[in-house]
Amino acid sequence: MVKARQMEVRSNIKKYFDMAYEGTPIIVPRKENKNVVIISESEYSRLGRIERIFAYAERLKGIKDDTLIPDKADIDIRTENLDKLFAISTLEDNWNGNGAPSFPRKLIEKVHGIITDLAIQPELFPTALQTIQLEYDNSRKDHMEIEIGMEDMSEVFVVGNSGGESIERIESTARAINERVGAFYG
Amino acid sequence: MRGLVHFMDNIFPKTEKLYRAIYPPKVSAMYWRKDGTISSAAFADSQGLSVERGDFRSDNVVVNSMLERFTGYIVSLYARDCFNVGAILRYLPSNNSVYHSEIHGSESKKLLSKSQRYYLAKKARIVNK
Repeated sequence: MVKARQMEVRSNIKKYFDMAYEGTPIIVPRKENKNVVIISESEYSRLGRIERIFAYAERLKGIKDDTLIPDKADIDIRTENLDKLFAISTLEDNWNGNGAPSFPRKLIEKVHGIITDLAIQPELFPTALQTIQLEYDNSRKDHMEIEIGMEDMSEVFVVGNSGGESIERIESTARAINERVGAFYG
Repeated sequence: MRGLVHFMDNIFPKTEKLYRAIYPPKVSAMYWRKDGTISSAAFADSQGLSVERGDFRSDNVVVNSMLERFTGYIVSLYARDCFNVGAILRYLPSNNSVYHSEIHGSESKKLLSKSQRYYLAKKARIVNK
């Protein structure tokens, strides 16, 4: 972190903005301790994610089942997934070389909300169908895919360890997915 | 190389290999699962799944040729893997490649079903790791 006076920042605004963009926060002291900090947009987003994860963990503290409270590893996977979702959001039209469209902001926001609230984190993958696929594997070696698009319902595809397959549709919400995932691991 | 290519048609021998470049090139790792296998999500494409037919060339020859046009990982499958799940192989040579082909879900639908995607993803092997 670098400290710089208001006048200094004003006179060299580009220099300080570039520093913030490169990852160095700039603290600007002001009278009556009304200090401000200049940070990059990506740092701002990262802090927002951390804040939401901890808010989520706080909410879960009211739940009696301690196994649902995410541990550090779970929080790390969630952060990893949100970072990957950010990477997916930057894919441009024709990202697969075969005409795949970019991902609508609304879909990214929807999946962001779902991922943030999922008790058990999936592995996360984009598809060329403007959908995002969540994947789970349990200890019985069953496999489950949940494909989230802009529709209100999501398709759930399960392959059992013996090869049996099923497809069903559930609401495209964190609550419905948490329930389905709970049953998958249960 | 082009002069050495023999006649190819819509008939794919069961043991012929098919090669697919995993997109997006800059972030192809996006499709790798933590257990090292590829996600079935990489096989979802409503335009048909583009592949290069091997025509019994060696992996090295195919990969080197593909890497002139693609970056990132390339995976291979056998034609029989597609037949086993009822997928259809189409030989569709393009301006870029005389080997270009596509895997379709059925005669009438280009998109592979979830089951076909899952099975083919399980069968796919990285050839240029």
